[in-house]
Amino acid sequence: MQPMSDTLSFQGGTLVISQRPQSDPPGAPFQWIKGRWRCEGYHYPSLPRLDLRDTVPRWQRLDCMLDDTHQPHDYQQEAVAAWEQAGRRGSIVLPTGAGKTFVAIQAIHRANRSTLVVAPTIDLLHQWYARLGNALNIEIGVYYGGEKIVLPVTVTTYHSAGDLIARHGNQFKLLIFDEVHHLPAPSWGETALMSPSPFRLGLTATYPDDEEMGDGRWQIDELIGPIVYQKRVSDLVGKRLAEYRTERIRINLTDDERQQYEADFAIYAGFFRARHLRETHGAGWLRELTRLSAFEREARAALLARHRILRLLAGCAGKLAALEKLLRENIHEQILVFTESNDTVYTISRRHLIPALTHETKAAERKRLLEAFRRGEYPAIVTSKVLNEGIDVPEAKIAIVLGGTSSAREYIQRLGRVLRKTGSRKAVLYEVIARDTVDEGRAQRRRPKARAL
Amino acid sequence: MLTGDLARPRLKRRGDQLLIDSLPVDHARWRRTAADLIVLWREQVGRSRDEWEEAVERYLDDRVDYLTVRGLAKVLADEGRFEPPATAIDPEALRERLFASGPVFEQGDLFHPQTRAERIVAVAHELDIDAAAMEAALYADRPGAQIVTDSGPDWTPEALLTRYNLELHRSALYWSNRVEVHIYDTFKDFWRYLKLFKLMFEAQPIEGGYHVALDGPISPFVRSTTRYGRQLAAFLPALLLCQHWQMRATVYLSAFERELIYQLDHTAALTSHFVRSGDFDSQMEADFAAAFQEKLGDERGQWRLTREDEVVLLGDTVMIPDFAFTHKTDGRRALVEIVGFWHPEYLRRKLEKVRSAGRDDLILLVYESVNLSADQLRDVPGEVLYFAGKPVIKQVLAAVERCAR
Repeated sequence: MQPMSDTLSFQGGTLVISQRPQSDPPGAPFQWIKGRWRCEGYHYPSLPRLDLRDTVPRWQRLDCMLDDTHQPHDYQQEAVAAWEQAGRRGSIVLPTGAGKTFVAIQAIHRANRSTLVVAPTIDLLHQWYARLGNALNIEIGVYYGGEKIVLPVTVTTYHSAGDLIARHGNQFKLLIFDEVHHLPAPSWGETALMSPSPFRLGLTATYPDDEEMGDGRWQIDELIGPIVYQKRVSDLVGKRLAEYRTERIRINLTDDERQQYEADFAIYAGFFRARHLRETHGAGWLRELTRLSAFEREARAALLARHRILRLLAGCAGKLAALEKLLRENIHEQILVFTESNDTVYTISRRHLIPALTHETKAAERKRLLEAFRRGEYPAIVTSKVLNEGIDVPEAKIAIVLGGTSSAREYIQRLGRVLRKTGSRKAVLYEVIARDTVDEGRAQRRRPKARAL
Repeated sequence: MLTGDLARPRLKRRGDQLLIDSLPVDHARWRRTAADLIVLWREQVGRSRDEWEEAVERYLDDRVDYLTVRGLAKVLADEGRFEPPATAIDPEALRERLFASGPVFEQGDLFHPQTRAERIVAVAHELDIDAAAMEAALYADRPGAQIVTDSGPDWTPEALLTRYNLELHRSALYWSNRVEVHIYDTFKDFWRYLKLFKLMFEAQPIEGGYHVALDGPISPFVRSTTRYGRQLAAFLPALLLCQHWQMRATVYLSAFERELIYQLDHTAALTSHFVRSGDFDSQMEADFAAAFQEKLGDERGQWRLTREDEVVLLGDTVMIPDFAFTHKTDGRRALVEIVGFWHPEYLRRKLEKVRSAGRDDLILLVYESVNLSADQLRDVPGEVLYFAGKPVIKQVLAAVERCAR
């Protein structure tokens, strides 16, 4: 029998040489580990010439037609050209809203090779899925907790990228990190280390400085390449002005709801007063309450009371009635209804027979819903937390917020992106809150910053 | 497996040690809780996941040990089967149809003459299905709508508590970056499961067994990754199949803000639900052992026969020969591997292993019915014996005498 020739293969984010004995070192970057010569995947493009059968690359050509009617801006074309000039390695830094996704689509199409896109959140994954599918006219793979479909162009999250790259990392010649400033986080940088992809593109509005990458673990320059193109906000267009006004609608709880609310609030507030949780734990009060609830009956009772209060406020009769009234009044406009309670989303969807969009909605249906909404086929959509910062939410004239979250930043960015005035008529944000309840406090906390718009 | 939030309250720190606060299996209160949950769970067959979760919350009431009880409930549900309910129409297609013409209201008005009830009836009529069946189908593809179709094993309270404790120990390994074990038996199952869970190992012989360090491919290149925590957790029941073992893991839990040591050994009151492989992989092996026992077993003869008690370490893989002969007085040993009816690819890999082992104390017993030419066996380092029917013990022993060292 002939001895088999040495083979270089991809194994769980590493490159491994089969057969070759310890006495015959292939040189750096290979190390003798567990009976084989091994190195990290990212060395692949810079390996010295070795006489081996190379089974690593499983990437392929795309040969798809670009179907994007947008005309690229000069700076977008310059950015892609600079990246190509740099050997298709490195980061492009552009301000938020400057069309980074569009730049990436150009880069993918011109490289014409299978590509993995890594996005920070599932929401952004869904956005990439929709944009790539429309622009490249091919089916796009998605890989995260809810769905795992690997195709020549696939989108994943930083969280799931490790598993995906360990198994399929050698199927992609181009690796794109959206919001690449997240990459230095400990377990996320590993993903770039494990991938053998020779082409790499980082996208961000805020490239971290050396100090932020300071724990010395991952340097973006090393994993992705240097900054190849950069433009600041002032280099581009002026800031967009607010295009909407806010109207607050206060509703009353019914007598039954009020009674239940007061009873639960007494339990909840009583515990807080007795324990001074806000004074002792500041912003971490809820975590402390949850911790205490695992061994103190009063804390457990307070936590349960809090859950009941939130559930009651999310779906109380007055809010649903106010929503119905607003839907009737604004029926000829595009309306987005927000509530942070998933249950309430589905209640409203059933009640008014309008589409629901939550974290349970799968990528394909989500894309279809948003596109139909954009075309005006659906006048209204009801959603929980998923339409967030940086998402391609279709423009709407009316937003109705039931409850909402206490995070001011999320609140402003979410709506600032959604509402557009048409002609001289401003868009309207209706905020529906329950009078004399914690809703008012929560809404208050949002107000001061909201005025900054 | 338990999620991190359910396991966390029962993970404690003492000094640099991680301790697991197991449930006392013979404790009346926990037995009663387990018994209650088993009854509750069995009642769920035919109901939805949402209904099961609501039933658990009602049972919990205001108990402060709710995370533990939810953990017990999760063990039950994980071993059961959930399936999407059968529907009169595909839910997504129905939604597309039903939502196509905008919001409806309970009461009609001038601009919205069609009420919700009227829309439902109209669409049900168009689709020729029952209106109630249509409403039921609307969100039947949500995870919470899945129906319990099988409640799984026949649980006893004791079995549930024991299994919960195993899951708790497993969950500590989610945050582990390196696990080291000493094992002294059950090598074949141990390596079979290692391979199944795609873990990597580094093994060294120690007195009576092996020291094995477990991690994943990228581990040697990065500082303490917990990327393989789930695989290490999944593997733990395989370790419990061994009679005699010790484990030492380094674990990083952010709540404790430091690396902790987590140790466990065969004295732990845990049982494995993994299946131990039978005594013999094939009838040929069983026959060989029986033939030896009949002729030279017990006090007779100079050689003692043992089964799979030595691991030949071959870099990133191992070979575990079927039998070992040990001389009763001078301790010389020889290994025996039986080559029976196998797939050609399996034979090729086996021969590759035999060759790379380079052991001249390894004897291959080849059945002549096996499709292996003498040519393929030429540069095998040890002896090769051919048999038409059963191996002749006398000939095997002669080879053992020649090869043992």
